[in-house]
Amino acid sequence: MHNLDAAGHVRGESQYLDDIPVQRGTLHAAVYGSPLAHGKLLSLNLEAARRAPGVVRILTAQDIPGENQIGGIVPDEELLAGSHVHFQGMPVALVLAETEPQARAAVKLITADIEPLPIITDPREAQAKGELIVPPRTFRLGDPAAAWAECAHIIEGTAENGGQEHLYIETQGAYAYPTDGGGVRVHSSTQGPTAVQRHTARVLGTGMHKVEIDVTRLGGGFGGKEDQATTWGALAALGAFVTKKPVKLVLGRHDDLRMTGKRHPYTSDFKLGLSADLKLLAYEVTFYQNAGAAADLSPAVLERTLFHACNTYFIPNVRATAYSCRTHLPPNTAFRGFGGPQGMFVIESAIAKAADELGVLAWEIQRRNLLQDGQVFPYGQRVEDCNAELSWQAADQKFELKKWQAEVDAFNQQSPVRKRGLAVMPICFGISFTKTAMNQARALVHIYTDGSVGVSTGAVEMGQGVNTKMIQVAARTLGISPKRVRLETTNTTRVANTSPSAASATADLNGKAVEMACRELRTRLLRHAAEDLKMNYEGLEIQDEQVLAAGKPAETNWEKLVSTAYWKRVNLSENAHYATPDLWFDQTQEKGHPFAYHVYGTALVQATVDAMRGTYDVDAVRLVHDFGQSFTPGIDRGQIEGGLVQGLGWMTMEELIYNQDGRLLSNALSTYKVPDLYSVPKVLDVEFLETPGHPNAILRAKAVGEPPLMYGLGAYFAIRNAVRAFRPDVRPEFSAPFTPEKVLLNLYAARESAAAPAASQASGAEASVRN
Amino acid sequence: MSGTSTPKSAGQSLPPPPAAPVTLRINGQDHHLELAPWTSLLDALREYAGLTGTKKGCDHGQCGACTVLVDGKRINSCLTLAVLQEGADITTIEGLGQEGNLHPLQQAFIDHDAFQCGYCTPGQICSAQGLINEGKAHTEDEIRELMSGNICRCGAYVGILNAVKEVVDKKSIALRS
Ligand code: FES
Ligand code: FES
Repeated sequence: MHNLDAAGHVRGESQYLDDIPVQRGTLHAAVYGSPLAHGKLLSLNLEAARRAPGVVRILTAQDIPGENQIGGIVPDEELLAGSHVHFQGMPVALVLAETEPQARAAVKLITADIEPLPIITDPREAQAKGELIVPPRTFRLGDPAAAWAECAHIIEGTAENGGQEHLYIETQGAYAYPTDGGGVRVHSSTQGPTAVQRHTARVLGTGMHKVEIDVTRLGGGFGGKEDQATTWGALAALGAFVTKKPVKLVLGRHDDLRMTGKRHPYTSDFKLGLSADLKLLAYEVTFYQNAGAAADLSPAVLERTLFHACNTYFIPNVRATAYSCRTHLPPNTAFRGFGGPQGMFVIESAIAKAADELGVLAWEIQRRNLLQDGQVFPYGQRVEDCNAELSWQAADQKFELKKWQAEVDAFNQQSPVRKRGLAVMPICFGISFTKTAMNQARALVHIYTDGSVGVSTGAVEMGQGVNTKMIQVAARTLGISPKRVRLETTNTTRVANTSPSAASATADLNGKAVEMACRELRTRLLRHAAEDLKMNYEGLEIQDEQVLAAGKPAETNWEKLVSTAYWKRVNLSENAHYATPDLWFDQTQEKGHPFAYHVYGTALVQATVDAMRGTYDVDAVRLVHDFGQSFTPGIDRGQIEGGLVQGLGWMTMEELIYNQDGRLLSNALSTYKVPDLYSVPKVLDVEFLETPGHPNAILRAKAVGEPPLMYGLGAYFAIRNAVRAFRPDVRPEFSAPFTPEKVLLNLYAARESAAAPAASQASGAEASVRN
Repeated sequence: MSGTSTPKSAGQSLPPPPAAPVTLRINGQDHHLELAPWTSLLDALREYAGLTGTKKGCDHGQCGACTVLVDGKRINSCLTLAVLQEGADITTIEGLGQEGNLHPLQQAFIDHDAFQCGYCTPGQICSAQGLINEGKAHTEDEIRELMSGNICRCGAYVGILNAVKEVVDKKSIALRS
C-alpha cells in the first residue's frame, strides 16, 4: 500500500502550515535575534522599528504575561531574552506587522546595546570550567580497571563528530488565533504538540486547557521540530494573546538556520582493550557533548549516547561517562538517532584504530564481538531476540563480504590513483523513549453512522508515513477498507498529554492505542450483531466489511451493522490508552530495562577516493535490515533509504561551522551541503531480514525511523580505508565529517621517519588474525 | 565595554514604489494581480494567486522546492520577479494533470514512493517535466546530474530517480516509434 497522502503530495494539494488560508486581520511576525553570542542586554532601541510602515506592535520579554520560560527538561531557557543573551540569534523581540515583508524590514531597524561576556564554543573548555547542563552520568559494567591487565592490546584515542543541520525543507512556523473565552488555537509545525501547549500556557500564564495545538503535517522534522518548535509556537501564541489578532510566524531559511539548534557535536576520548584473539575485553569512554546555550533535549540525548556506546558489540567491562557541556551556540537538540550515532561513532573509531594498530581488517574485530542472546547490555537489560549475528551472516552471504573485500584489494593493487575502501557497519538500536513515562499513547476512534471512521492519535505525520500506518491498523482491526478511515489532524483537544513523535516509537505507541480502541469497538459491534441476529457471539468476525459467522457470510455487513448498532444505542466511539509493558530504568544505579526491543542490521559500504583530488564517491551501500513483519514495505524501505542518506551526509559533506564568536558560518544551502540526487550511492540494496518481529511492535513490524541513519557511519570508515590504501603509513584522525578537504590533507600528510606505534601493548602478543 | 550590534539605519529612505497591476497567465488562466514590483513569482503564486502547491524552501534559489515551468522551461520561482513573467505561460503543479487524470510524472511518483513528507515533491515533478522538455536527459547519470538542484531532505532519491527514469524512458520509446 502506498502512502495515503500520495495523491495530495503529487498534486500540490497537501496542506502544510504556510498553506493555511490566511484569516482577515492576520498580523505577520518576524523575530529580532541577538547579534552576540553572550552578553548582558543593557537596552533595546525599538523606536525606528515602531515607526516603520505597517508595524503594529513589538513584543519583548516585558510583555510576557506568565513566566518567561520554555525549558522542557531543565528550566533554563527564556522565550525572549530578559537580562542576558546566550547565543547568536536568541530571540529578543517579536515584531508584528501587517505584512511579512514589513515585519522583516522592521526587524532590521532594531538595535541592541549588549555588554559582551566571554564566549565558549568548545565543550571541553565548558567542562573544564564547570559549565554543565546536568551532572555527568556514568554507565558501568564489569570492572574495566581490573580488566586492562588481561588485555593483549590497549588502544587509546580521540574521536570528534560535527553537528548536523536538520534542513527540513519546510522551515519552522506557527499560526495562532485568539479563541473564545481568552484562549489561543495554534497551528504549529511541531513534532511535539503537547510541549508547545504546555510551554505556551506557562508563557501566557494560563491553563493548558486554554491552549489548543493542531498539527496537520510537517514538511520534514527529523527531530528538529521536537523541542525546537516550541519557541515559534509560543511566540505566535503570545502575539495572538496580546493583540487579540491572528498572528502568523514562519521563519525564513536564514533565520531558521541561525536561530535553531542542531545535532550535537561531540568530542570523546576512548580506551579499548582486546584479547590476543580480538575479543573486546574492556572499554572506557568519555563523551563531551556540545549542548549549546540551554538544556533543550540534551540530557536525554546524552543518555542515549551512553545506551548505544557499545553499538552491537558485547564488551564485558565498560565505563562510559558523559558530560553535557553548556556553550554559547543555539541549544542543540534531537536529530534522528538522538545521540546514538555519536556514541556508535566512537566505538567504531576505536575498533578502526585497533585494526590499524594490529594490522587486521576492522570487520574481523567487529564480527568476533557481535551481541548474543543471554548477554547483558551495560545498562542491565538482557540481550533477547538478538539478530546481530543473523543480520551479519545474511549480509555476509548475500553480498559476499570476503569476495567483495578481495575485489577491492585487487582493484587497489592495479589502480595507482583511485583507491577503494570497504567497511561493514552493523547496528543495534533500542526502541522506546528512554524516559519510561513517555512510553504511553492514546487514540480516539469514532465510527460515524454511515460506517466511515475517524481516528485521532498523538502521532504527527512528518513524512515517516505514520498516518498510513495508523489507517492500516484501524482498517485491519475493524475488518474494513482503509478508504473508510480518515486520520484526523493531531490536536491536543482530542488527544491530550501526548509524547512527541520521536524515538522511532510513534507508530508502535499510537498504533497499539488505535488497535486497542478498534478491538473494543469491534467486540461491541459483534456483541450487538449476536444479539440483533440471534447468533452465537463466538465465531463472529468482520472481514472485508462482511460479518462472518463461523466463516460464513451472515445477514449483515459493516454499514448495516453500524447503523443498527446506533439505533440500539451502542456507543460507537472509543478512547484507548496504551503503555508499553515491562519498561523501567533506575537512574541511581543506571540499570534497568529501558527498551521494548532492539532493531538490528548490517550494511556493507564501498567508497572510491580520487587520490589526486581528495574527492570520493560512496559507490555502494548494500544492507540487511531487521524489519520484523513489515506491513507497509514501501514506506519502511523509504525510511531506510532516507535515514541512510542523512547518515551519509552527516559523515561526508555536511559540515557545520561556527566561528569563535559563536556565529554560524555555514548559514545557507550554498555553504552547508546536503546530499542531492547526484551524491546518493549508485548501488543501494535494502534486503528485508525476515524475523518474527516483536509483540511490542505494532503488528510485529519493528520501528524503522532512526536505526538506518547509523548505516551512514560505514561511509566514514570506507573512505578512511580507501585513504589508507593510498597511504598505509597514515592513520587519519577520527574527525567527522570526512570532507574531501580532510581526505586530501590525509593523502598528502607529511611522511613520518618511522611509523610511531600509538598502541600501548600490554603484552607482546602478535596479532595476525585473518581467516 | 558595550557594543552596539546593528548599524543605526534611518527610516528616511524613499517611500517604496506602489503596487501595480500585473497579469500573469498561470495554468492557462489569466490572473490580474496588484503586486509591488519586487514581488517574486513564488510569492505572487502563493500569496496573491492562491496557488500554494509551489513551495518555499529557501527563497534563495538553493533548494528547488519552488520550481515551476515558464514557457516550458523550469525555473526557481523565488529567483524571478513576477512582473518579468507577464505574457509568459506559467505552469505550476496545479496545472499538471487533473484529479482522476494524473500527469504521467505524478503517477510515477506515486508508483515509486518518490516522497516522504511531500514538501519537495511539486518542485521535483515540475523540474522533471522541465528536464524532459529539455530533451537532454536519457541515462540515469544524466538524470542524477540534471535533477541535483532539487533537494529532498527526506532522501526519497531512489524513488525520485526511478519515477523520472520511467517517464523519460516511456517518452523516448514513444519518440522512436
Ligand atoms: S525556494 Fe526557491 S530554490 Fe528554494
Ligand atoms: S519528501 Fe520530504 S523533502 Fe522530499
